[in-house]
Amino acid sequence: MSTQLTPRNVRPWAAAGLLVPGLMLLAARPASADRLTQHFKVDAHPVVTIHNPNGTVTVRAWTKSEVMVVANRATNQVEVDAEQTENRIDILTRQVSGTANPDELRTDYEISVPEDAELEIHDDAGGVNVSNVLGDMNVETIAAGVDLEDSAGYLTVKTVGGAFQCVRCAGRLEVSSISGSFKLIDMRSYNVRAQTSTGNILFTGSFLPNANYRLKNYSGVIEVRFMPGDSFDLSATSLKGKVNNEAKLTPSSKHHLMPRFGNALFGTFNSGRAKVELSSFDGTINILKRD
Amino acid sequence: MEGERPSAAEAHLRTCANCRALVEDLESIRQAAAELTDVAPPERVWVSLRAQLEQEGLIRDASARKSGAWQWLTRPFTAWPRLAIAGAYLAALIAVAFALSGPIDQQYDDYRWSSAMQDSTAPLSAQLNTAEQAGLTSLATSDPTVTASLHDNLAIVDNYIALCEKSVRDEPENEVARDYLYTAYQQKAELVAQLAEHGDGSR
Repeated sequence: MSTQLTPRNVRPWAAAGLLVPGLMLLAARPASADRLTQHFKVDAHPVVTIHNPNGTVTVRAWTKSEVMVVANRATNQVEVDAEQTENRIDILTRQVSGTANPDELRTDYEISVPEDAELEIHDDAGGVNVSNVLGDMNVETIAAGVDLEDSAGYLTVKTVGGAFQCVRCAGRLEVSSISGSFKLIDMRSYNVRAQTSTGNILFTGSFLPNANYRLKNYSGVIEVRFMPGDSFDLSATSLKGKVNNEAKLTPSSKHHLMPRFGNALFGTFNSGRAKVELSSFDGTINILKRD
Repeated sequence: MEGERPSAAEAHLRTCANCRALVEDLESIRQAAAELTDVAPPERVWVSLRAQLEQEGLIRDASARKSGAWQWLTRPFTAWPRLAIAGAYLAALIAVAFALSGPIDQQYDDYRWSSAMQDSTAPLSAQLNTAEQAGLTSLATSDPTVTASLHDNLAIVDNYIALCEKSVRDEPENEVARDYLYTAYQQKAELVAQLAEHGDGSR
């Protein structure tokens, strides 16, 4: 069932200003699965928060100065609240029944935002996909994977078990997980901090001048692929695992403290303009040429 | 955090990256806490807290919940989301951090060092295990995908802690192993806070 809801045809009292400004309830429909749509006019740099315990959250940038929320509910066991307060949109999936099973509580979102929007997303299980959004972003999940594409700004991502992929991301990235693996592809970030316990970490992209890249795990593989023209100062340490290197390094001009334990590799590639720190407890570290 | 730090502490911070990072984290938490809006915590937080206080003899019975003292105690917690719950373990984490950040260029008395580590990690470990059990009990009716993920990752972190502790016991002067052990405890504190957030009554 597909239903488009607007302030006029769904909650006239809301439009009349009897609720807090911009509050729109999108739910309370008797049918099972349905599709709900809402539009919000926003100014520059709007903030959009999404709290969705179960389901996918897909956010795309568009050129309009508005936020469009499309919610696909599995059943009416959940309600979707979307509320605008000035330049902030808060979207929340709320459980109505205490006895529903998780499949009945699933809600998938497709959200369109201006490209300068700032996002705050909390999604426990399902998945988060964001593309072409250039504002700051904070994403937290338990089991849900997170995929960012062509994003920028200050990106912070935290998962418990969800995997993370970032393609052509710029700006600053901080990502952490317990068991999630990370794929950082064609990166253009000037500051990357990635930490996972048992996940793998793959990094490919440009090592920008004066940028910092710190990749750390407990086990699993850390793999960095470099181009001949890259320039970085490298520190790679695995306490109980191997360090494999294809870069022709010269002794580093930086003062590295050689650890007394484990396998460590220090050196400079070309003029060492970026700083790359790789560390693992018993995982393998690979520094490989990029094809 | 507030006021001037003793000069010895300042000097230590200049040379110790771990403690510097810890102080930065504390400062971030302080700033984040200052910006928090009121969020009512789940009932089980009070149940667990009450049980602990009764056990410690600080309150006597359930009627204390209605007392002024209890109201005073609960009020600050109304603004505690997960970040602050994780922060509740900070005192113990700080003790662990300092215990794990000893000088690296001197010979250690292995037995004494291991004892000190045990002394500093045991209270945190006990706190976390108690909170973990309470959290796991209340998770029984949550989303099975989320529950399974939290269970699996708790097992991973527990294993991580055990292996790091073994490494630190075997090589007390190994600063990398100590750093990983501290990170493992941080992760466990965050996971236990997630458990608290996802249990019954949290939705």
